[in-house]
Amino acid sequence: MTLVARVRTRLGSLGLECDLSVESNVTVAVLGPNGAGKTTLLRVVAGLVPLDEGRIEIDGTVFEDTPTRTWLTPEARRVGFVFQDHGLFPHLTVLDNVAFGLRARGVDRTTANARAKEWLERVDLAGYAASRPAALSGGQSQRAALARVLVTDPRALLLDEPLAAVDASGRLELRRTLRDHLSTFTGLRLIVTHDPLEAASLADRVVVLEDGRVTQEGLFGEVSSRPRSAWIARMAGLNLLRGSVSDGGMLLEDGSWVTVATDVRGPALATIQPRAVALYRKAPDGSPRNVLRRSVAGVDPEGDRWRIRLDGPFPLVAEVTPAAAAELRLAEGGEVFAVVKATEIDVYSL
Amino acid sequence: MTRDVTRRPLIGLMVPAAVAVLFIALPLIGLLVHVDWGNLPSQLVSGNVLTALRLSLECSIIAVAVSLVIGVPLAYLLARASIPGRRVIRGLVTLPLVLPPVVGGIALQTALGRTTPIGTVLDHFGIVLPFSTAGAAIAEAFVGFPFLVITVEAGLRQRDDHFEEVAATLGARPWRRFWRVTLPLAAPSIAAGAALCWARALGEFGATITFAGSFPGTTETLPVAAYTSFEGSGQIGMAITLSLLLLAISVLVLVVLRDRWLGALR
Repeated sequence: MTLVARVRTRLGSLGLECDLSVESNVTVAVLGPNGAGKTTLLRVVAGLVPLDEGRIEIDGTVFEDTPTRTWLTPEARRVGFVFQDHGLFPHLTVLDNVAFGLRARGVDRTTANARAKEWLERVDLAGYAASRPAALSGGQSQRAALARVLVTDPRALLLDEPLAAVDASGRLELRRTLRDHLSTFTGLRLIVTHDPLEAASLADRVVVLEDGRVTQEGLFGEVSSRPRSAWIARMAGLNLLRGSVSDGGMLLEDGSWVTVATDVRGPALATIQPRAVALYRKAPDGSPRNVLRRSVAGVDPEGDRWRIRLDGPFPLVAEVTPAAAAELRLAEGGEVFAVVKATEIDVYSL
Repeated sequence: MTRDVTRRPLIGLMVPAAVAVLFIALPLIGLLVHVDWGNLPSQLVSGNVLTALRLSLECSIIAVAVSLVIGVPLAYLLARASIPGRRVIRGLVTLPLVLPPVVGGIALQTALGRTTPIGTVLDHFGIVLPFSTAGAAIAEAFVGFPFLVITVEAGLRQRDDHFEEVAATLGARPWRRFWRVTLPLAAPSIAAGAALCWARALGEFGATITFAGSFPGTTETLPVAAYTSFEGSGQIGMAITLSLLLLAISVLVLVVLRDRWLGALR
């Protein structure tokens, strides 16, 4: 099964313009900052937001096609949507919530309740059948919402920020439950999240959506080690440089010159691990390496690795031990020399 | 909180405030003082009172039923649909709240009276509204149904249509969404609106007497009976008994709705 979507729609200040293809053998995570249009993308696929222009189809079933004015109602799409707030009906019991989709599709009450019960057992909520959703914890309500969708055997499963409404203690457990159900579900799986960890743990493939546009897609490892946008680099904890490579060096967009060791030529991106940035109070010598004069913009103590934010022609983050930070007497506004070996700069074509 | 300086009462305001409380309480006390408690039980079960009470209940319940059938859909459309002239319609619906009921009665007479086009058509089917029990119910509905529409619309507006969206993605078609999701979630406001509408219909006098008259057993509801026994036949004792009955029902409605309406003010 394949979902092919060409999405062009405008909603308030957000213009969503992206092409998406999702195969049923991989779980795809749409990753991006808040306000990038991720939820809107799911709502478009579910039929809750109309396209201005474009086409959405799953295996020949056309959900929407603006040139021919084809539009399938949300109820006819058979797309399971697990909303960020889970959307359990407050006036129905957990069992009636899970049976709702079956009843809506004409299954008789007895059969619907029996199948709903079966699914409540699968998600470990058999004891809550007669409870109201208000009595469930965040993780339980997420599982109930998941069961409510899966019991209808949808063509596609859409999860919007599946771990957002769950407290930290329940996340690990819920992530495992989600992974189990995702792996046994045979339809299309599309997850939306702003958390790279969530994307990495639940999805095989990542589509990065920023400001309504896809900035990068691929396997999670590829995307996080070779980021193509500042946001994804920051999420991966990497310094990202953009410029053009010629013999022996890279000319950055701000005019800085950085020594690199690579075969790549032309427009390129480069990443530097924060721990590969060494800090000194006085300029050291020796080559081949880059010595960059910087001022300290901020010090973020994080356990036994402190992240030092450096201001300069291009911003840089260094990671040092607390002892080193003390020895260097790092303080906001202070001056340091950042040293990066050419071999520590990972260069790849733009 | 009693130590809070800003909450210490201004003596100057207490005098008019006390007058206000007396203003409401004195007439009620007067009513209670003049009740002939000894004869009250026998008066209450007398034929006239029971007939008026039965008629009042009948008419007011029909009025609420009519209001529910036409008022809830209207409230839904006003709250959810983008219909042209929504503000005008809302203004029109709330008009009976401020319109003198007697004007409503006269207006009903001019629209549904026997000689009007609608009245003529109804006459063909043997239906005569003016001065009939059905007419009394319609007069009560006319005055009471804005309360229902306004309350239900406010209840629907409290929620957006998120749960309807959820229901749609689960495969529910529009009518199922309306019956299984929209209506149950609006049930508290529908109940409150119906109760207010019923209380208003029960006490309705002006429009009822103008449109339906005061025929014992047909259109003489409790308030109308109270007025006619007070004004027409000079039976002040009976008028007081009927008034007491209406007062008791009003207090009952207030108690039932207490948590919903007064709770918000507490």
